Amino acid sequence: MTATPESGARGIRRGARLPVTGSVALAVVILLWLAALVSPLFARRAAEIRLEERLAAPSATHPFGTDDLGRDLFARVMVATPISLGIGLAAAAVSLLVGFAVGASAGYFGGAADLLLSRVMEVVLCFPVLFLLLALAAFLPPSPAAVILAIGLTSWPGDARYARAEVLKVKDLDYTRAARAAGASTPRILVRHLLPNVLPPLLVSAAFGVAWAILAEAALSFLGVGLPASTASWGGILAVAPTYIEEAWWMALFPGIALFLTVSAYNLLAEGLRSAVVERGSR
Amino acid sequence: MRLLATTLVAIALLAGCRGKERQGAFAAPRKSPAPAATRVGSSPADGGTLYRRLFGEPGSLNAVLQTDVPEQLVLQYLSRNLFDFDDRLALVPGLAERFETSPDGLSFTVHLRPEAVWEDGVPVTPSDAVFTIRKIADPGTSSPLYKSFFEDLVSVEEAGPHAFRARFRRVDAYRAMAFALPLLPARRFQGVAFDRAPDNRAPLSNGPYRLTSWKAQESITLERNLRYWGPRGYFDRIVFRVVPENAVAYRALVQGDLDESWIDAPLKQRAAEDPAFSQCCRVVEFYDLDYNYIALNARLPFFADPRARRAVTMLLDREGIARHLFQGSARVISGPWAPESPAYDSSVEPLPFDPKGAAALLEDLGWRDTNGDGIRDRDGREFDFELLVSAGNTIGRQIDETFAAALARVGVRARVRPLEWASFVERVDSGAFEAASLASSASDPNPDPYPYWDSSQWPPRGLNSGFYRNPEADRLMEQARGERQEDRRIAIYHRLHRIFRDDAPAVFVVNATKKYGLRRRLQGVETSPLGLFGIWPGPLGWWALEAPAGVRP
Amino acid sequence: MIRYTLQRLALAVPTLLGIVILVFLLLHLAPGSPVTALGAESGRRVSARAAEEMRRLYGLDRPLPERFATWLVRVGRLDLGESFVDHRPVATRILEALPYTLLLNGLALLLTLGIAIPLGVAAGGHPEGSLDRVSGVVLFALYSLPSFWAALLLQTLFSVRLRWLPLYGVASDGTPSGWAGLSDRLEHLALPVVCLTYGSLAFFARLVRSGVAEARQHDFVLAARARGASPRRALWAHAFRNALLPLITLLGLMLPGLLSGSVIIERIFAWPGVGRLFFDSILARDYPVVLALSLLGAVATLVLTLTADLAYALADPRVRDGTEPR
Repeated sequence: MTATPESGARGIRRGARLPVTGSVALAVVILLWLAALVSPLFARRAAEIRLEERLAAPSATHPFGTDDLGRDLFARVMVATPISLGIGLAAAAVSLLVGFAVGASAGYFGGAADLLLSRVMEVVLCFPVLFLLLALAAFLPPSPAAVILAIGLTSWPGDARYARAEVLKVKDLDYTRAARAAGASTPRILVRHLLPNVLPPLLVSAAFGVAWAILAEAALSFLGVGLPASTASWGGILAVAPTYIEEAWWMALFPGIALFLTVSAYNLLAEGLRSAVVERGSR
Repeated sequence: MRLLATTLVAIALLAGCRGKERQGAFAAPRKSPAPAATRVGSSPADGGTLYRRLFGEPGSLNAVLQTDVPEQLVLQYLSRNLFDFDDRLALVPGLAERFETSPDGLSFTVHLRPEAVWEDGVPVTPSDAVFTIRKIADPGTSSPLYKSFFEDLVSVEEAGPHAFRARFRRVDAYRAMAFALPLLPARRFQGVAFDRAPDNRAPLSNGPYRLTSWKAQESITLERNLRYWGPRGYFDRIVFRVVPENAVAYRALVQGDLDESWIDAPLKQRAAEDPAFSQCCRVVEFYDLDYNYIALNARLPFFADPRARRAVTMLLDREGIARHLFQGSARVISGPWAPESPAYDSSVEPLPFDPKGAAALLEDLGWRDTNGDGIRDRDGREFDFELLVSAGNTIGRQIDETFAAALARVGVRARVRPLEWASFVERVDSGAFEAASLASSASDPNPDPYPYWDSSQWPPRGLNSGFYRNPEADRLMEQARGERQEDRRIAIYHRLHRIFRDDAPAVFVVNATKKYGLRRRLQGVETSPLGLFGIWPGPLGWWALEAPAGVRP
Repeated sequence: MIRYTLQRLALAVPTLLGIVILVFLLLHLAPGSPVTALGAESGRRVSARAAEEMRRLYGLDRPLPERFATWLVRVGRLDLGESFVDHRPVATRILEALPYTLLLNGLALLLTLGIAIPLGVAAGGHPEGSLDRVSGVVLFALYSLPSFWAALLLQTLFSVRLRWLPLYGVASDGTPSGWAGLSDRLEHLALPVVCLTYGSLAFFARLVRSGVAEARQHDFVLAARARGASPRRALWAHAFRNALLPLITLLGLMLPGLLSGSVIIERIFAWPGVGRLFFDSILARDYPVVLALSLLGAVATLVLTLTADLAYALADPRVRDGTEPR
């Protein structure tokens, strides 16, 4: 194949569409964000404590039942939506930003920088994620920022490795060399050539990252080291469920379904994006 | 004087009668009833195994170093105290037979039983007692449970073949409680670092059982100590299982893997609706000395004024909480004691639940919403505070969220924040908090409020974490400490109770019942204000019915 | 090869040091100290004076660099110190817990590989076929299922409602050791192993599947088939073997994942393993234990990754010559 500016370039395959599952997933994700947008409508209901109605089974007035303080569970799950989604997105963003910065630098500059940065990546990767997460989340003063930071700072190596690998694949391609030979400055190469080609794969990484971050936040909240109670996410609502699992199965079921649905949707979306992103130059 | 004292002791011993009203702890110890002496009903099956629950792993089984309940539960079988509390909180003889007080009230001579021996046959001697007490008082030893009793110790030495004498710096009405104390065998700790002694994992017993196996994180097994000098325990074996989760313990109880377990209100409700539970088990419920309260930091502008604190108390629907969150198994309290405590004056009514009155009070005090954000403010400071709760404390969190919702309705914001235990305690003990949900847990019947509410006990010295200060209360508390006459002391406490109610140093919430699930075969379970385990004979008096053939007891 | 090995080993040293530094720093930024963590379960408060004494006793008042240097020296001598909670050697506590975690994770790993490989090969052999589609959906569902939720639901179903399996623990009391008690132990293992397996199973199966599907298209596979090899043989002998090498590398990375899962699962099922020990030690601020466990976990991963890299290099000359980017 002759060297053309497009050869070896990665991009969304022209005419490519998300597979069916991917489209469904995208629709679900959009629906979830819409739910997050309308959730403030439920804020009052979610905060209404009625002790005499505690642990009521699902009914017409309370489609998901009530929790241990008599609050409507449906409203609470709705109100938790932007929180879970928001934290997930923010944490994934932190992870992606740090990961991309580190990974791309390692891949592009190579040599000593690559050696050093790869070691840093390796250090974090060697830890069982939950070991590190627990330590961070338990030791930082609890707040959404702390949770976002903890998750972001423990999952960035995955993004970094991915970014590094992608940059390495693109860096030595003919057109990049040509650009360098022509005297283009490093930032220009990075922005005009590397970035557009690395971006689509990074989108895939981002989508997986959001799924993971939402799961991680839920796990932290479930274990009791996540968000403060007043801003309960789905994991936070689930944390109370084991105590009432035999008399109030709805407390475990509905927030868990919301969580599962969201994580699945993002994972499927990521998978769909991945199949739409294909190396042009493959045989 | 000494003759008189000894005579009084003798009379008290002979006159020990169960019909007597509540005995103060300062009274001379009564003769202890033989455990399991009353076995009426169907023939009990002697021997067998008792399955107890530990909700955590004991750190070490060193009686002096013990810090937590799992250790106490196990050590209770292995290590007798000099004196114990019986179910009505009076001191009864244990390893010791009796004690005498010097006329000036500063010296105590304790007489050990001559027949007390360790499991290897060596007698328990005064040198063991002296060693133990010196160790406790030693600043290098960390003994959270007993240290405070011996802070005023001047000296302790042997006083004969079976006695020792301890001398203190000042008179304290409850000094005798210091001798509800276990002993360590001095010779086993010679030449080893106290913290790391092998005896801490394999303690020498002087009680009815001895340790035979300890599987870390799983179980601890005890078997009869054949050398024990006292009445033998009923069961051949005691197995403690480590089960941290309540729900899991509940199921273990129903399945027969546990004979007893502490349960909370939700589990009690589940038990009531569970036919499997009613077949195998029953719930035992009683009021004890523990209570819930919300500590307020008096250094904050909004909590500095007692009227504001009263207003805040009036915003909490404590009756509703008792009725719904505790399903009626709790009672509202008006001061820092449980109604079972002699210090509690039941004529002191709790502040009413009165949101309107509270709002009016806050208005009067100048807390008004001047900037229209829905939160009251004054002098530029918003009535907005952080309410800490320990992460595992479900009921505390529920109370807090109810409280926060009620406060929000009158324009006060409370941000509920669960903290995991280590951080929580650090913040509370150092006074670095604004409000915190706490539970007061009594390990002895001493109702002395001094360590918690006297203004000399502010952090970091003491436990008055809320920086509460009331000169009149201070005066009364100090007076009570030196008062040796029990009825006069109680009268002072009653006056203090009224002050505490009006001054509202904290929001006193409820005194809830303790609930335990027990398998039906288990008998002889006595309750007390100190719970099932802090008393004599306590679990040592438990026995079991024999199961009919083929049925799991 | 020797050169590559030495290079690789040399690179591992700074990683190791980085691990140790990271963990040590983390712990000492913690707000709670071991003193305040005592009495966690019963909610008992310790007086400030007693707390201060304990702080002194445990040496928490000496400067940070001194503490770290001391600890480094001890680790060099393989002396992991003593637990703050019960004063037993940390090594003892870990060795007690390790077999339980190894058992759980070992079984999970076996199951994962045992199911993921055949499934992945079969699905990858016929991409977009019915097996591929169905398994794809199911595996994704499993991959997205939070382990703590799954554990709760499984417990409710199998332990509470159906009463088929025990709720927690390693074995019922009085269970004989050896073969006689095997069925009881297996019953206790069932739920925890399932919860630990399904996540990595999903991940691994998909990986095998895509690896096989991709390798399937390579020239040598087509060539093999052109030579008359049956599709199955071509798949296993060639496609899978070539997909194998990257997978070996990933095995090294699975260990941290399994250990992470252990923390939650062991807690829910009261399994006395390393995961539960870690979580409890974090809450109790038992510095020596947390440090030791983090170190061991990271080192084990490092060793596995190293081995995998060397195996990869052994098999693929391009790697050790440095022409293939790693």
